[in-house]
Amino acid sequence: MISADLFSNAVVSGILLGGFYAAVAVGLAITFGQLDIVNIAHPAFVIVGSYTAWIINTRTGLDPVLAGILVTPIFFLVGVAIYRIYYAAFERTGQESLSGLAFFFGLMFIIEVTLILVYGVDYRLVNAAYIGESIDIGFVGIPYRMLVPFIVAVLLTGGVYLYLSRTFTGRAILAVAQDRLALQLMGADPVRVKQFAFGLAIATTAIAGSLLIIIGPVEPSVGRLYIGRVFAIVVLAGMGSIPGMVVAALIIGVVETMVGTFMGPSWSPAVSFGVLLLTLAVRPAGLFGRQ
Amino acid sequence: MASSRLVVEGLEAGYGAVRVLHGVSINVEHGESVVLLGSNGNGKSTLIKCIMGIVPPTAGSIHFERDGERINLAGKSPQEIVGLGISLVPEGRRLFPALSVEENLLLGAYRAAARARLAENLAFVFEVFPALRERRRQLAGSMSGGEQQMVAVARALMTEPRILLIDEPSVGLAPILVIRMIAKIKELKERRNLTVLMAEQNFNQAIKIADRGYIIVHGEIAFEGRSAADLKNNDLVKQYYLGL
Repeated sequence: MISADLFSNAVVSGILLGGFYAAVAVGLAITFGQLDIVNIAHPAFVIVGSYTAWIINTRTGLDPVLAGILVTPIFFLVGVAIYRIYYAAFERTGQESLSGLAFFFGLMFIIEVTLILVYGVDYRLVNAAYIGESIDIGFVGIPYRMLVPFIVAVLLTGGVYLYLSRTFTGRAILAVAQDRLALQLMGADPVRVKQFAFGLAIATTAIAGSLLIIIGPVEPSVGRLYIGRVFAIVVLAGMGSIPGMVVAALIIGVVETMVGTFMGPSWSPAVSFGVLLLTLAVRPAGLFGRQ
Repeated sequence: MASSRLVVEGLEAGYGAVRVLHGVSINVEHGESVVLLGSNGNGKSTLIKCIMGIVPPTAGSIHFERDGERINLAGKSPQEIVGLGISLVPEGRRLFPALSVEENLLLGAYRAAARARLAENLAFVFEVFPALRERRRQLAGSMSGGEQQMVAVARALMTEPRILLIDEPSVGLAPILVIRMIAKIKELKERRNLTVLMAEQNFNQAIKIADRGYIIVHGEIAFEGRSAADLKNNDLVKQYYLGL
């Protein structure tokens, strides 16, 4: 039977997990949702973010989240460089759809294999005073290793949302895939706008990665588990809508936790692909798809 | 004293093997409204696209004279040309359909010179087009053709242009809306002292805002009218537009 405390625990951890998923997916909501770039390597960058937080945390004892925030400028520049290569090699000549996908697929493997060669396949974890602690509200226990990522994720996605909707560059990012020439007629350079947006998306993975390694230990291939999830979230949201992305991430988080709790953890990975297929079949525009 | 002048000389352009413009020379003086008349497929849009850097010319020159400075537009990108102070209301409007009216207008103020005058310009376009203020939260793609054309003109004004190019504002609009749109453009031109170059095939409407104009036939300037009356009394006009 489904007991009340098991149920409410599952809902709460599902919401916390979903919030974290939003942090992982927000960068993809920009690249895939707004720029039409199928960055399948996005979760791999999140893993790089985890390893970066781990290295800084174990060497200096700095809080993993602060470590993640600290390295965002470097991630931003890496993102800009990758977009430059992608643009010069594929987008400029109009070959981005298939060759571009292969490019990011390859990039994903290069990242994963490099991490394995350098750091091995052992699980890595970070230290912070709050990891292992939890607060109990009634019969619901909230572990800090879930609560801290949730709060940071809310701030991150909220910040990205405000940036996109309130700034000139942000609005140009929203416009660039809709009509490139029209954006040029506003005096903006679409390549520079896209390069900035891609840098921003990769910068978010530094923070998302630090959250991932707070939630649990990380090894190089963990990223693969997130490919289905993040794409499902962005598609369910309705390509590029940030509020929709948060709702979609919460839905996936809660459904996954429910399924894991009541049907067994081995069913959890099926949730995101199930949601992805269902969305494409029933409502391809997504929950919050404009148009 | 601010002055803006556009000079096109001996322009040739085309798409692949198809030559569209054969040595076109036109000029637009400060504060003038010049209309480019001609039916479909005669090269009006191509000429406009060459000026904006969208289509590269194969020969000839395009110069923008700004406060005595003579700037060669050849090889410049559309965004650079907009940055110099030439804006386009494109054919087919080309709004950002999934953004709101207000977001479309704010994107018009992207360049630095336009950001500095954002509040003033936004108040101005809302005053000229009150319907846009009411509908500023509506998605641009969900509006009617006439409303979209208003957004397109308003968005171009937000870029703070010295010279405004308008390509076929009447396309896809009902006759009554064409009349209103032309009246609005005339109002804008008078209130803002805009320099305008408008390509249009609706002769009777275009003539209402024309200080002078050119008739373009098969990629060549077939007639240069030094005044609206001059255009009206021309044989080519009678032949092409009035069916006489």
